[in-house]
Formats: sequence, structure tokens, C-alpha cells
Amino acid sequence: MIAVALVLLLALMALSIPVAASLGVLGLLLDPIYSMLPLSRAMGEMAWGTSTEFLLVAIPLFIMLGEILLRAGFAERMYGAMSLWLSWLPGGLMHANIGASTLFAATSGSSVATAATVGTVAIPQIKRFGYNEPLFLGSIAAGGTLGILIPPSINLVIYGVLTNSSVPQLYLAGIIPGLLMALLFMAVIIVACKIKPHWGGQRVTASWSERLRSLVHLLPPAGIFLLVVGSIYAGVATPTEAAALGVLGALVLAALFGRLKIAMLREVLESSMRATAMIMIIVVAAGFLNFVMSAIGLTGAITDTVTGLGWSPMWMLLAVVVFYVILGCFMETLSMMITTIPIVAPIMTALGFDPIWLGIIIILLVETALITPPVGLNLFVVQSLRKSGSMQAVINGSMPFVLALFVMIGLLSAFPGLALWLPSVFTN
Amino acid sequence: MNQISHRSLLARTFAQARRLSLIGVWIGGLLTLASALLISYDVIVRRLFGITIGGSDELSGYAFAISTSWALAYTALERANVRIDLVYQHMPVRVAALLDGIALVALGVFSVYLTYHAHEVALQSWQQGSRANTPLATPLWLPQLMWVAGLAWFSMILALMLVRASVAMLSGDMATLKAVCGVKSVHEEAEEEAATGIRLVKGEAA
Repeated sequence: MIAVALVLLLALMALSIPVAASLGVLGLLLDPIYSMLPLSRAMGEMAWGTSTEFLLVAIPLFIMLGEILLRAGFAERMYGAMSLWLSWLPGGLMHANIGASTLFAATSGSSVATAATVGTVAIPQIKRFGYNEPLFLGSIAAGGTLGILIPPSINLVIYGVLTNSSVPQLYLAGIIPGLLMALLFMAVIIVACKIKPHWGGQRVTASWSERLRSLVHLLPPAGIFLLVVGSIYAGVATPTEAAALGVLGALVLAALFGRLKIAMLREVLESSMRATAMIMIIVVAAGFLNFVMSAIGLTGAITDTVTGLGWSPMWMLLAVVVFYVILGCFMETLSMMITTIPIVAPIMTALGFDPIWLGIIIILLVETALITPPVGLNLFVVQSLRKSGSMQAVINGSMPFVLALFVMIGLLSAFPGLALWLPSVFTN
Repeated sequence: MNQISHRSLLARTFAQARRLSLIGVWIGGLLTLASALLISYDVIVRRLFGITIGGSDELSGYAFAISTSWALAYTALERANVRIDLVYQHMPVRVAALLDGIALVALGVFSVYLTYHAHEVALQSWQQGSRANTPLATPLWLPQLMWVAGLAWFSMILALMLVRASVAMLSGDMATLKAVCGVKSVHEEAEEEAATGIRLVKGEAA
């Protein structure tokens, strides 16, 4: 049964059938082959249940929040402020790339958007200050991946829904690893520029009064972060309600910056609805497939087979890491999460791993997938921003940051408290 | 009627369907925006004045289902559905065109099943007069009907895309075929994201 299902799934996907249709059709095929009762009748009720789930309403709202903020017009000034504060370090503006990404990540739940925004502002500076191009581009691609680790995060909402774990706890668990990850990325830059000082470009210096005056440009993103994440932990709002407050706040900001126009709003609505529909049809199809799989005993069979291998938890974790690194080379990251988590998470939690901790590990693996060739979307975004030069430069420049991600996964495995300490403080 | 006007009629219908789908997206988007404002109002009033209005969670759930189902058609037209092009990208043009057709059919099969079973849900609510188990006691068939209508529109658009793609394939018009249902490569997608990024920062969108 496992073999049949796996072969069918791989065949459907290899035929380049849309992921949602592959999952849905697989469910429709497995149902008559292995089940006595027609299971597909439940499809309607399940689809309605999923489509009206209040927690999932957070998805369109967070996407919309990101789309409005992108257009609110503070990215350039924010980057400028970051460069005044961070560019004295060896590696100069590359630290501003990471810093601006970190701050942007705290308002946005998407990695691609983060890389596109920071990259647009940063790339013209490469020639101006004589930076090593690959490393500079790598810092943008890698910094962008922080978007999904630092709350708010669309991917963590989806993980929470798929595994029935608390989204506020997942958000808390992402904060320390997110900041640590940013520091690791900066460490990579410092080490690289200590070894090859000419990679670091010209030093840019700033006076303290310039720095202090620039702080005002960090207020808009900081305000949105406080509104969204703060309202969750002050016990004022659920994640969905926080996302709604965020949309309201972002609209106010855009209005203050004079960017709130009909044309802008129309673009926001179009791109957020497109992204939402794309995600939701996969979520609905995967929900149906998972229902069929557990009804015919397939989920149980897979779990039994995998646990029957008798691997120790640490070996299993290593296997999961390898599995996601390989899969991430070929699959778009959201579909990868939605298809695999319903199988992987129960196996791992049965082995004694904490589901919140596992969520952060999986997000780190998804970040890795975003900057590993051949299908790392962030690599392509950065490449298309620069108009000339070979893709290889972006790939090479990102490699040191992939190592940093692996170091972080190792650290998190050795010290699970890095993710779990903050949630435990808030629950007690 | 000669072949040319046949195709242009089809092209016109297609353009019209696309416009309608776009309107569906705008309305869905406005519903979502309205949900955001309603939920915010609910939270603020509850926090500041201790008044619980309630119902915003239920209503935004309906808005979510309706807006998503109405955005599906536009997503398909924009070729925004995620496809794995690992094998596809190495195929000769004709094989790739065939794969595009198969992909469209598979999506259509899934969407027709989904629409059919969703229609049963709405029909049952209507026949049994089911109401939501909430203070609003919403008659469930009402939001469900609007949700099903979006799904049905999605299926119709897929059928139309299939007709357009088949005509293009038969007349050897590979460019149209690719524009209707080809895989949007990672390059194209990244191009778009980057272009948006540039426009946003430079502020031309505003």
C-alpha cells in the first residue's frame, strides 16, 4: 500500500501536475482502491471546515499585512538607518543587509518579499563601495530567509494548524533562534572579511548624532512588530486578531507616508488573494488526502514502518534533516511543508521530540531550501534584481550561509532550550 | 465561420472571463479587508470598553471561504498553482505541451469533485434549514452557496482554459498554449517578485 501510494504521488508530481491536484487526485484514487466506504463524500464538509477555520483566517491577513507594508514606503529609510548602525563592522553594508532583513522579518511573514525588498535597496551599493559581489548577494538571499523564522510567520501558522500546536508558542519559540541566526549570518560575514579583507569594501563611518537621528526610521517596523506580536503576548488578541490589527496598523502607516491610493490597494488585494488561494487549495487537498490516508490505515502503516526501523531519535532527526535538504532542492517550500508535515511530525513526536521545537527545526530546513540550488527561490529573486552576471555568483555567495543554517540546526538539537525557553516563561 | 474568427471569438471569451475573475478577486479582497477591520474593531472595543460584540470570527470565516474560492479562478489564469518542473523543464516542446494539458485536466478533475461535494454540503444545509451554532444563527446555506459558486466558477474557468489550450495545440500555436497553461518557471516567478520589489521601493506603484 505504501509503495503504491508513493509511486502514484511521485508519478503525479513528475508529470508536473499542480501540487494541489496531485494530492487531491491521489486521495480520489486511493479511496476506491483501499476503502470499503466512499470516503470522498466527506470532501465537502472537510473543505468547508478548513475554509472557515478562524485560525487560518490569519493567512490572508498576514499576507495582506506584508503586501501593504511592502508598499508603505519605509524600506529605503530603514535600510539607511541600519547601515549607519552596522557598517563599521568588517563587511560593512552586508551587516545592514542582515539587520534590515531581521527587522523586516519582524513585520513580514514571507522570505521572498524580505529578500526582494532589501535586495532592491542594497544591490546598487555593491559597485559603489567595492564589495565582493557573491558574498554580498548571498547575505541578501540568506537574510531574506529570516522572514519566516522571526514572527509573524505564515509558515508557522501552517505548521501550527497541521500539527495542532499553538501558534503563539511557535512564534515565541522562533524569536531567540531568529536573532541567533541573524548573529550567525553576521559572524559568517565577519569571518569571511577577516580572511579576505578586500571583500569588505570601503568602510563607511557615521557619527553618533547621525545614528541617533536615524532611529526614527526604525519606528514604523518596530511599531508594527509591537502591535502584532505584542498584542498576542499581552493576552489581548489571538494570532488572527493580531494579524487583523496589523493590517489596520499598516494601512495607517501607508496613509501617513502618503502611499495609500486606490491603485496601490488594488495591487495589494490582487497579490494577497492570489497567494491565499494558491496556499488554501493545497491545504484543502492535503487535508482530504490525509483523511483518506488515515482512514485506509496508510498513515499508521507508514508510521509503523518508520518506527520499525528501530533508529534512535538522533538518527531519525538526521534522516529528517537529510530528507528535507534533498526534497527542498526540488520542491517549492510551502507545498513541501503541507505535504510532509502530517507524516513527519507524528513520527517525530512519538519519538519524544517536542512539536514546538520540531516546528522551528523544520522552518530552518525550509530556510535552507530557499537558498539551495536548483530551486532556491530566494537565489532567483536576488539574481533577477541584479540584471547581469551569472547565477553561480549568488549560489556561491550563499553557501557559507547554508553552513550557518546547519550550525544553527546543530545548536538547536544540542540545546532545545534555545527554542523552548521563551514559550515556557510565558506559559508559567 | 473561418478559423481565424473562431479563435478570436475564443480569445474574446477568454479575455472576458479573465476580467470577471479579476472582479471576483477584488470583491474577495475587499471582503478580506472588511474582515480585518471588523476583527480589529471587535478587539479594540472589547479591550477598551469591555463590550463583546462577537460574531467577527464567524463572519470572517465565511468571508475567508468565499474570497478564497472566488480567487481560485484568477490563480489558475495567472498560472500561480505550484507545479514541480523537475522533469518538465527537460522535455521537448510538444511533450511539455502535453504535460500542460494533463495538468489542466487533473486540476479540473479535482475541482469538479470538490465543487460537487461542496454543493452537497450547501444543498443539505438548505434542505435541513441548518443554522450556525452561534449567537448569529446564520442560515448556513447562504455563505455556503456563495462559496460553492466560486468553486463552480473555478471549474468553468479550467474548462475554458482546456478548450483554449486544445485549440492552440491543434493549430500548433505553442506560444498561446504556453501563455494559457505552461509552467511558470522559477525564473519568471522570481522576475515578477523582483520587479515588484523594485517598483515598491522606487515608489512607482503609489
